[in-house]
Amino acid sequence: MSILETRGLSHDFKGLKVISDLNLKIIEGERHAIIGHNGAGKTTLFNLITGAIIPKGGRILFKGRDVTRARPYRLARMGMGRSFQITSTFSQLTPFENIRMGILSKKGIRFSLFRRVDRMKAVTEETHRILKSISLYEERDVPACELSYGKHRSLEVGMAVATDPDLVMLDEPTAGMSREETRHTVALVRRLTEGRTMVIIEHDMDVVFSIADRITVLHHGKILTTGTPREIRDNQEVRGAYLGEMGD
Amino acid sequence: MRRNLQLWALSLAGLAVVVFYPHLFGIYYTNFFVKFAIFALYAVSLNLLLGYMGVLSFGHAIFFGTGAYATALALTHISGLPLIPALFVGGLSGGLLATILSPLLVRVSGTAFAMLTLAFGQLLFVFALKFRNITGGEDGIGGFPIPSLNIPGIVSIDMLDQRNFYYFAITVIMISIWAMWFYTKTPFGSLIVGIRDNENRVDYMGFRLPQTKAVNLIVSGTFAGTAGGLYALFQNLVSTVGILDIHTSLYPIMMAYIGGIGNFFGPILGSAILHILEDVTFRFTERVDLITGLVFILVVMFAPSGVAGILSGIRERYVSGAAGQPAMEDEI
Repeated sequence: MSILETRGLSHDFKGLKVISDLNLKIIEGERHAIIGHNGAGKTTLFNLITGAIIPKGGRILFKGRDVTRARPYRLARMGMGRSFQITSTFSQLTPFENIRMGILSKKGIRFSLFRRVDRMKAVTEETHRILKSISLYEERDVPACELSYGKHRSLEVGMAVATDPDLVMLDEPTAGMSREETRHTVALVRRLTEGRTMVIIEHDMDVVFSIADRITVLHHGKILTTGTPREIRDNQEVRGAYLGEMGD
Repeated sequence: MRRNLQLWALSLAGLAVVVFYPHLFGIYYTNFFVKFAIFALYAVSLNLLLGYMGVLSFGHAIFFGTGAYATALALTHISGLPLIPALFVGGLSGGLLATILSPLLVRVSGTAFAMLTLAFGQLLFVFALKFRNITGGEDGIGGFPIPSLNIPGIVSIDMLDQRNFYYFAITVIMISIWAMWFYTKTPFGSLIVGIRDNENRVDYMGFRLPQTKAVNLIVSGTFAGTAGGLYALFQNLVSTVGILDIHTSLYPIMMAYIGGIGNFFGPILGSAILHILEDVTFRFTERVDLITGLVFILVVMFAPSGVAGILSGIRERYVSGAAGQPAMEDEI
């Protein structure tokens, strides 16, 4: 059963083809990594899928429904969560407030004007639970912009799962991290995406091979190949186009 | 617990001041207080956009002015209209105007929002000047009846008595400000702050941005309209200058910045400072704007978080027990 599918997806920026005729299938429950060079179209693909930009051609199906032109908020409500390559939290707010936003959304508390949010016990408890799971409980009342880089990135990933999505889209969660921080983040991602489907963009091949069930290699906006980590490692074409140049 | 007790004591002291104020300071300063309070309400309503949602409105007077004109027109044309409904007409008109403009206003932010609100402000100003048969043009509308506050079968309070009006206005203003404070504490209020910080992410979290912004705009417009309605009753005169002109849009911005846009109560403080400053300056020179402008510049340059920011900084540094706690209850 595929939870997400793109059919003949195409996009260009002012004539420059970024994604062309892309057919991607994400199977429910899998951890799927997307790899490729800078400029291969990974983040554009993410932006198309999550509703940030509307594709010029093709279709996107999420949970069997056509969401080609759906806005981000609708996809979020349907059960898609997303993190960003460039940290995009509510940086003036505290981690508590950041995560609470997701909890409120998940509970469908949107136009609530007659109750104080700090008196909503269930919301607070659930927010605390997530803060603990991303190891930010101690720092919950510090403005997010004052967190260390690693912690801030954890918050970024935490926000992607705060709405309790079925499909989590992570755009380079380990970008710019030290080895130690990367190891920590990999463990975090594993834990948080337990029981969910995950699509991850990642540059670090160690991370990709340790975390992914299947890997798609993107090359000039097209899928070069899709397969298990073993298949990808053994694929000559991929070696030539990608892995070889990575010095692996 | 101790904190709660302090808060109660402080509120009680504040209430006592408000209650006995007119008896201590005479009519001139009673009216002075009413004007300060009306503008405090107006500035707080502006800050729902400026400090909370992060958009600068250069035309907030459209809501204030619409409220004022609506209340004045209603009292002129509907004979026997009671006080509270007349005020409601003002508030609702402000909200209605915000509703009408919201489809346009929620689609822009930053400079575009500022310019669009400025344009609407000027547009409405000219309308009010030109549609003389409705608005009275430059002369405005004056001398409309000010109804008494009737509580059927119990009491009828004459609102032409300035002390009575003081109590009525302050009550309405305190309730309105409390309502807005509560509003910022609701889940919806927390969303608005999220929009200020990163509206893109709010979208990705599953909230519809345009609708959310529109509601905040309407809430802000309604309370600005209420302030306008009160002002009409207070002056018993509405005319373009002082109600719909660009200065009326700029005052609450100055108040909010001087008091501190990062704090719910900042604009109230700002209104107080600006009014006192004007009153004092006027004793020495007519060039009041010179002084208020200078203060505005100094605050923007050296204390971007306003007087409230300075106060909470002092509090954090010197008051024991405040260490490690969020600087101020309502820091946003």
